[in-house]
Amino acid sequence: MNDDLPLEKIAISGPTLASLIQRFSSSNGDVDGLLFGHVTQPTPVNLLDDDFPSSSSSSSIRSDSPTLVANITSFFCSGTLSSFYDSLGQLNLSALNRCNQQQQRLIGWFVGRRRTSLRPSMREFSVSSSLSSNSLETLNFSQKESISSISPPFHNFPPCVFLLLSSPLSVQLIHTHDYRAFQFRRSTDVFEPKSIDVINIGPAFRGHYGAFSPNSQFPWLSCSMKEFSSSSPSREMEIVSGDDDDKGKEESLVSLKRVAKDQHGLDLCAEGYEVGRLSKLVGSEAVNYTSELEDLYGKMLAKLEGLARVVEKSSALVLEQERCNIKLRNKVSGLE
Amino acid sequence: MVNASEPMVPPLIGAQLNYLLSHSPLSIKVEQIWSGSKNPPYLSDRFTLLIPFCLDYIKWDVIYNAQNPLVAPDIIFAAVDENFHPFSISAEGHSHSLKSILCDWNCKDPSKLLLLIHELRVLYNVYQRKKIGQLDDERLKFEISTIHSREGIEVSMNSAPDKADEVKFSVPLLDIDLNKMVHGCTWKHRQQIFLQVIFPISRKYSLAPTAPRIKLVGSSELKALFPIEDVKLPPWLDGMCLAEYLPIIEDNLNTQIVEAVAAIGARRRFIEALAPLFGRPLEADPVFCRKATVFSCSGVFTFLVHFSLPTQFPKQQPVLVLQSSQHFNSLGTPVMSPPLMDYPWSPRWEEPKMAERIYEFLAEECLNFKKYCNESQLQQY
Repeated sequence: MNDDLPLEKIAISGPTLASLIQRFSSSNGDVDGLLFGHVTQPTPVNLLDDDFPSSSSSSSIRSDSPTLVANITSFFCSGTLSSFYDSLGQLNLSALNRCNQQQQRLIGWFVGRRRTSLRPSMREFSVSSSLSSNSLETLNFSQKESISSISPPFHNFPPCVFLLLSSPLSVQLIHTHDYRAFQFRRSTDVFEPKSIDVINIGPAFRGHYGAFSPNSQFPWLSCSMKEFSSSSPSREMEIVSGDDDDKGKEESLVSLKRVAKDQHGLDLCAEGYEVGRLSKLVGSEAVNYTSELEDLYGKMLAKLEGLARVVEKSSALVLEQERCNIKLRNKVSGLE
Repeated sequence: MVNASEPMVPPLIGAQLNYLLSHSPLSIKVEQIWSGSKNPPYLSDRFTLLIPFCLDYIKWDVIYNAQNPLVAPDIIFAAVDENFHPFSISAEGHSHSLKSILCDWNCKDPSKLLLLIHELRVLYNVYQRKKIGQLDDERLKFEISTIHSREGIEVSMNSAPDKADEVKFSVPLLDIDLNKMVHGCTWKHRQQIFLQVIFPISRKYSLAPTAPRIKLVGSSELKALFPIEDVKLPPWLDGMCLAEYLPIIEDNLNTQIVEAVAAIGARRRFIEALAPLFGRPLEADPVFCRKATVFSCSGVFTFLVHFSLPTQFPKQQPVLVLQSSQHFNSLGTPVMSPPLMDYPWSPRWEEPKMAERIYEFLAEECLNFKKYCNESQLQQY
């Protein structure tokens, strides 16, 4: 039923919007990409205690038109145009899946085109129309298992958000960026302009913390120290706290396997430094083990440094490839 | 034509734009051209086109991408046309070529942009018709349904914020090729006379609907043959509809065009009749025969005679202007006489007689002109 409900507004956190604008403004040409996030129904502020006699009808009205907010939590910028659709605006599903390798919840897409009007174009209408007429299941987006493992509300909500970024047509203007958000309404085939709520900006930002649920890409590691419990049975400890007790008790075979896999990953990172040895850091013997710990930190730092160097090298390669691509493009368009 | 060097238009985009401007039968104009790149070279890859539609212009932004020259351009339509969705209209079965143009996009084929713009313009007309069909105006619905069989009619809804809403029809009149009727004509575009009919939108039924505003429209080039604004329109009678009115005005217009084309022959004979008396004309308009200049003298006083022949020739006589070859004003331009029309003339005379009477008239008039020249030169000193 919740496939074409009106959004009240579109919320985006300051850093997400800033990094989106940064990606667009640092690219040489026009870009497009996907927007990820979720749809929420904020608790109405004016809750009434009184139970009216006609409560059934009033509640039905409320459920008919819930005030929905689309929260943009992250994005993928393709760095080019027509990344997941053709010149007719028809979707290329395999390219769309490639753009969403993190398997996040798609709620829309965006286009950044310099010095153009903030009106959706012919092709953008077509892309939004195709996107929002597909539910996420038909788009072959297997949803990432959410942290709470509860299916989020409005999980059938179509990816109907469209964010248009541009820069002013006239060079003389002081401001350098324009943006406008729309919801594509499938029932009427119309782009409805929506207001954008930038979270963490403005005097009323404190209120946002309550309503905003962050979305972390860091995996949930439910490993415990059970393997080492035999060596020090009195000091059984759990590395990752917050694991629900009842959940831990009804561990199935599947979750046991997953724990083992996560544990293996952690062990790789520890590089022979058994996690159990951490327990020795507490108590009277602690002084003797500080050098050992420093050694661990040293190894970690060296590893980070190595990683930084790899990133640096690959960035240089990417840059070189990009230069080569520009040259090829110029050749194709007859500029050289 | 777009100069490929300034602003810097990528060659492939420039070729498509130039092809559009030079090959389209419509006189499409480029209003603005600019770049969407961040870094130099600032390749101009987007432009605003002014496209003639329904005797007005529509403005479309064509957005190419210099970074991806192989991809077909995208179009942003005007703000008032936010509900114009070519793909939806195309999908309703009005046209299938939009899809094929975009699917078979070939950036190396310069004709592609022209095909795209023309196809979109056809779909735009469908969109305007649908929009008017959705109005709750019985009369407009009737008008559209009765002229459906005529080809080339364009309609558009004008809604200015400060004016009452109205609907404009542009009806091409007379299925004749004017370019072929005028021998050796130099018109670049095919000439066509349109009837512009503007209906006020009335949302309630009325027995005596107000008459529409009617006007004939032709290009400025057509003026050489035929002053379109001088045509007297037949009256729009009460309760008339466009389908009734069109045959009447077409008949009317047809006779006038035949007369106007015949007038070219009369003017040509007149100019030819000047030669035995004045010598060969220095200059003459060979297509419409509206102008001729001859050289004449009286003793040592030499002067030019400019003939301007009206479209109503020979009913209206030519206007003569004399120009001295020996007298100049303070600005260094030759002294000219005021326009002369006060000479013996009859439309019933044969052309040689007309020329003869003018020759006789000028033999006297040139003395007055010489005096006039001398006086105006004396004033300078």
